[in-house]
Amino acid sequence: MRYSTGTAIAAFALAAAFPAAASAEWTKTWVIEWNEPAMYYGAKSGVIDPGTDCPKGTNPDIDWVQVMVNAGYTREEAAWLRNPANPTRSPVHGQNQMAFRGKDRANVYINPTSTPDPGLTPVSGTIGEGIDLDGNTKNGFTGLNGEKGIDNSFYRTLGCWKTYRGPQRLSSGALQFNDAMRNGSWTTVIVATGKGADPMNDKDVKVGFYMSADKIVKDGNGGVALDYTFRIKPDAKYEALYSARTQNGVIASTAPADVMLRDPSYSQDLDLLRSRISLKMKPDGSLQGYVGGYRAWAPVYKGWVDARGPVIEALTWVQLPGVYYALQRNADFSPTGTAGEKTHISYAMRVDALPAFVMTPDGGKQVTEITSYKASAPPPSKPSATTFSVIDGLVPDRNAKVQAGPTAVILPPTTAPTSAGQ
Amino acid sequence: MATKAGLVWAALAVAGLFGAATFTTATPLPVWAQAAGPVTPVKVGVRRITETQYRHTIADVFGPDIKISARFEPEKREEGLLAVGSSQLSLTASGFEQYFALASSISEQALGEARRAETVGCTPKDTRKMDEACARQFVGSYGQQLFRRPLTEAETTARLKPASVGTQQSGDFYTGLQLALTSLLMDPDFIFRMETAEADPANPRTYRLDGYSKASRISYLLWDTTPDAELRAAASSGDIHTSAGLRKQLDRLVASPRFEDGARAFFTDMLQLDGFDNLIKDPATYPKFNQAVADSAKEQTLKTTIDLLVAKKRDYRDLFSSNETFINRYLASVYKVPYSSSNAWAPYTFPESSERAGILTQVSFLSLFAHPAGSSPTRRGVKVHEIFMCEPTPEPPADVDFSKVQDSAKGTVRGRLLDHMENTGCTACHRRSDPPGLALEHFDGLGQLRTMENGSRIDVSADLDGKKFEGAQGLAKYLRDDPKIPACLVRNVYAYGVGRPTDERDEDYIADQTAAFASSGYVLPSLMAQIASSPEFLKPVIPRLASPSAAKPL
Amino acid sequence: MSLRFNRRSLMRGLLGGAGVCVGLPALDTFLNGNGTAYAEGAKLPTRFGTYFWGLGLTDTPTGGTRWVPKTTGAGYEITPELASLKSVKDKVSVFSGFRVIGDGRPNLVHWSGHASILTGIAPAGSTRFDGPTFDTKIADAIGGGTRFKVLDVDASVSRKPVSYSTRTGNSFATSETTPLALYERIFGEGFQDPNSDNWKPDPSILLRQSVLSAITEQRQSLMANVGKADQIKLDQYFTSLREMENQLEIGLQKPEKCEACVVPPPPKEPHRSASVDIVNANTKAMAKMLAMAMACNQTKVFNFVHTAGSSETYIAGDSKIYHQITHDEPTDAKLGYQPMTSKIAGMVMQAFGDFLVEMDAIKEGDGTLLDRSLIMGFSDTGYAKIHAIENIPMFLAGGANGKHKAGQHIAAKGESVTRVSLTAQQIVGAPVGEFGAGGMKTSRPITEVMA
Repeated sequence: MRYSTGTAIAAFALAAAFPAAASAEWTKTWVIEWNEPAMYYGAKSGVIDPGTDCPKGTNPDIDWVQVMVNAGYTREEAAWLRNPANPTRSPVHGQNQMAFRGKDRANVYINPTSTPDPGLTPVSGTIGEGIDLDGNTKNGFTGLNGEKGIDNSFYRTLGCWKTYRGPQRLSSGALQFNDAMRNGSWTTVIVATGKGADPMNDKDVKVGFYMSADKIVKDGNGGVALDYTFRIKPDAKYEALYSARTQNGVIASTAPADVMLRDPSYSQDLDLLRSRISLKMKPDGSLQGYVGGYRAWAPVYKGWVDARGPVIEALTWVQLPGVYYALQRNADFSPTGTAGEKTHISYAMRVDALPAFVMTPDGGKQVTEITSYKASAPPPSKPSATTFSVIDGLVPDRNAKVQAGPTAVILPPTTAPTSAGQ
Repeated sequence: MATKAGLVWAALAVAGLFGAATFTTATPLPVWAQAAGPVTPVKVGVRRITETQYRHTIADVFGPDIKISARFEPEKREEGLLAVGSSQLSLTASGFEQYFALASSISEQALGEARRAETVGCTPKDTRKMDEACARQFVGSYGQQLFRRPLTEAETTARLKPASVGTQQSGDFYTGLQLALTSLLMDPDFIFRMETAEADPANPRTYRLDGYSKASRISYLLWDTTPDAELRAAASSGDIHTSAGLRKQLDRLVASPRFEDGARAFFTDMLQLDGFDNLIKDPATYPKFNQAVADSAKEQTLKTTIDLLVAKKRDYRDLFSSNETFINRYLASVYKVPYSSSNAWAPYTFPESSERAGILTQVSFLSLFAHPAGSSPTRRGVKVHEIFMCEPTPEPPADVDFSKVQDSAKGTVRGRLLDHMENTGCTACHRRSDPPGLALEHFDGLGQLRTMENGSRIDVSADLDGKKFEGAQGLAKYLRDDPKIPACLVRNVYAYGVGRPTDERDEDYIADQTAAFASSGYVLPSLMAQIASSPEFLKPVIPRLASPSAAKPL
Repeated sequence: MSLRFNRRSLMRGLLGGAGVCVGLPALDTFLNGNGTAYAEGAKLPTRFGTYFWGLGLTDTPTGGTRWVPKTTGAGYEITPELASLKSVKDKVSVFSGFRVIGDGRPNLVHWSGHASILTGIAPAGSTRFDGPTFDTKIADAIGGGTRFKVLDVDASVSRKPVSYSTRTGNSFATSETTPLALYERIFGEGFQDPNSDNWKPDPSILLRQSVLSAITEQRQSLMANVGKADQIKLDQYFTSLREMENQLEIGLQKPEKCEACVVPPPPKEPHRSASVDIVNANTKAMAKMLAMAMACNQTKVFNFVHTAGSSETYIAGDSKIYHQITHDEPTDAKLGYQPMTSKIAGMVMQAFGDFLVEMDAIKEGDGTLLDRSLIMGFSDTGYAKIHAIENIPMFLAGGANGKHKAGQHIAAKGESVTRVSLTAQQIVGAPVGEFGAGGMKTSRPITEVMA
């Protein structure tokens, strides 16, 4: 399919109509229709099957009875905890007692180091996607086109987690969050302006990522519809501005930037230090590429905990403490300098965007310049609350007689599990 | 208001259609009906009310928040108008059930606890018992609004029975009233507009429409709803039979904001916008098409038309050339322009470079009259002739080989149609039907601008009746200057109002009205008032009566 | 008269008189949909039910499917997850490719799908619906004249009783959750044996008759002095009215013996567990009772829940529940689908097949109870792994007294689920012309399956 190239033409017309604007020669605008962690997939097919990225396949399915036995529960207790007929095992929120498997039955979700590192299968391949963030071509992955020094430790850490593994746009994690975005949960638009005559080769380019309150519209095929209009919504938190240049249609950062974007993940915040972009303007009008940078990994971990530890663990075949240890181990950046604690990890997000019209916040004009709207934004709102309240990675059952915890009695008075209970 | 009315009547004065002394709407008796004494009243028209008329009427009588959920009986287009086709329709058995369920639901809502005090103008002595006086007042009041005339004593009494039976059985007076109201809503006198001709007092051996029938005809034309109290009063007093009385009512109706309802209903019918109810587009070819786009396209055309012709009182022919319109976020995507407003709709003017001109280049016309996965110069051309010039095209012969025309992977539609035209059986019609459509070929089956098809540049030159024009804007100029365009609107307004097709007896009348329309500067409200005030519009056409056995018992 | 012509009639004349226009669809008046005489159809009422199960059927994101037939129209092939429908396939239409269009409202997992199908509105919150469910409209239209206007049944053995039927969006119907409770409700105290002698007519019929007779009283004066063409219109109106009177009249007569009505023995209370074998056994037992409730004229409308949106069912002995498996099981690289998920989906569908077979086992007139009924089967998701609300499996089963052209596969390309809902409503004669809101608003039923 050939998408619009009309955005540029319209922008030209507008620039001519408003000669007073301290303006760019050209403006191009898009709406993000897909974004996902850039996780290179090295297998032919299948999610868990071996590939060059993960030669032994993904992190394996976990024997939870054994995990609990290892944590000090009797085999009988462990089996009963996992029995679907156990009334303490919520079909929606999982078995809360699974949390209490640390030292002295501490909650391992909020105290991950209370248990020894259970491990997480890492990526062992050499190919990776993203951007060279540190200018060092000796470290990191080799890119799809042979470029060296791609920094993406996030991928190295989590690329064999089956939630994130899969061909482009097909991993279950990406499907889940992009589905939400495409159904209207949030909208991110991209604006690029340049001062040169040729948008494809321009030394002075500015790029802005902004939120919009106008929802993505789906077309007759269920895809994202082209050429819709989105008004920028000033956001105190999510905004990313870059200086860049274009070469043969590829927009590349000329300087690193500290930015915050809306992340397609449980944690929602993608805070990127020393962020860079590499985005290709394709002949069909679409935009495709990467946004990279170093992101704080503790909030990422917390995102999974808050998404309900027992559910994430059971559905995605990891032990969350293993994820914690792996992120800590692979973190490769400290904002305070090379000697500081590595609180950040190199990361890249794959972005697909379609031509769209982007308007100033009042909706009156097409944007023609890259500027920060943060000052005019209302204070940031809390991440939208889920319909249930999560405490320490668990949803307590308010009606239960016995709550999960370090001292909970596990087995029912009569040991035979004969009833599902009401 | 004064200027509006002035405009209307100035037009009429120019046309000289009637003088005070000769104002008459009487019809001489047909030969077969001539008898010695004064004529007896005759029903001259039984027309099923349309869905919008039903909805408007219920909203007027019971309030706009009454929910109306039903499958209305399908309507039928004849001579380009549903108003003409549907006047031939009755109610099927399954339709009867649907209307019955709807009538019950309206009665329940109108007499539900929340609003019964407001609905019923009187309070029963005991809500558990039948109160005949109150029931009678209720039936009389709603009967005349729904039947568009006062009820006869027999008609009222008939409703008191279900009211009484229902009250007795349920022990609730309002349940009884519900039944009475349901009975009114199911009556043929509500579901059909019944027009009656009576003896003309000035000449008792000739007919005229009775006052209520006149009120009804005017009200449904101008407001698409049942006559309001003032109009009914004019019918009751006989004022409506005088030229001053009629003029007063027409002025009032045309000046009212509710005239917009009437104009919308008329253009929805004439422009065949009901086609959006079942329009299908191939999502692979036209991914941008969805329900929201369909609804928006229909609304765009109505908004444009009403704004131009009713609010701004512009020349009707500007509809074909004006680029002033309204868009919303969905349509902006189809037109591939930014939507620079925070409101649901915003005024918009198509630039010259858009190649658009007037309503023929809006998504509604271009997508309605196209194929699911392609444009169709023939369909568009046929519809330009049919809708705007009142020139129907015959159905194609049955034995045509369409394979070449349908192979849409090659060349342009024009090329394929030219091949088709080599078939002499097709040439005569296609030579007339296709040119307007060919001029619109820069718009695909959804109405999106394009200049190429399958790698070939699309030629949009056309030649109709020896006049050459280029593209949509050329077509717009051609149509704007074509005298058939205003004449066809006149014909449509008249046929829509009287509910029957025009025939050769009407030609002089159409010509006169068209001349008056021209003198008014082609202003729509003037035209509608002018037609509504013309003796021909209110003249009954006396049918051959059914044999007396018509009233045989079931 | 004949000398008059207009331009259109001239055209017709030139074309050889083709295209005779009949303004009145007269045949409609005399026959019902499948051409059988109407007394039969009027005596044997149309029944309607919803059948819901959780977690959809198995798709893959790359386009593979375990349930969507390859061929469309009549004679579709039985796919692996539709195996249980094999014996009643000609009485079941399959709808694929329909989706929820939320207009920017978020996908509330295991909620938005069926909420949209049932109300036509993508819900704003996951505890309520934003409108009434359409089964209530159908119950209002056809549910009268029986002891129960509607029966709500939940076979899922969930921790809380499940129902998705609501008139307000807030409070949901109270379901019977065990076969014994359902038995007591139908055949316990208050059961009116339709074959016993103390039968009483529905008093509301008399009221409706009084509404119509107030109109027929005026017929004489109405038909006087009317033109010939108008007389035909009014004749048809009164014929239609007469048909309704006939139907009401039939309702006042003591019904013929319900030959199929045999009060069954009370069931044993089964072991309570949400495992799929128990839920399926419940479904079968409850289907038998529901079928008999309809054969004994106790109700005409029901809502049946096999498993909830976030289904609690599991294979006995397995520590993973079905819901978990849909999410955590990877797609098998060789097979191209989630094998365990598909296996359990097949087991869940077995219950739907069994349910329909029970309906089909009851003879009524020249057909079966299923032939008189329309049962809409549907789920909450398409591809459950990611909570997709596209390609939600939907079915219409049963002949609906000849109104449903069953046995077809209708494949849509992302059209709104509400088209199927509207079709169901119109097939059983509910007075609904338009259903849904926003992008899901539709006035287009799927006419291919409507007789």
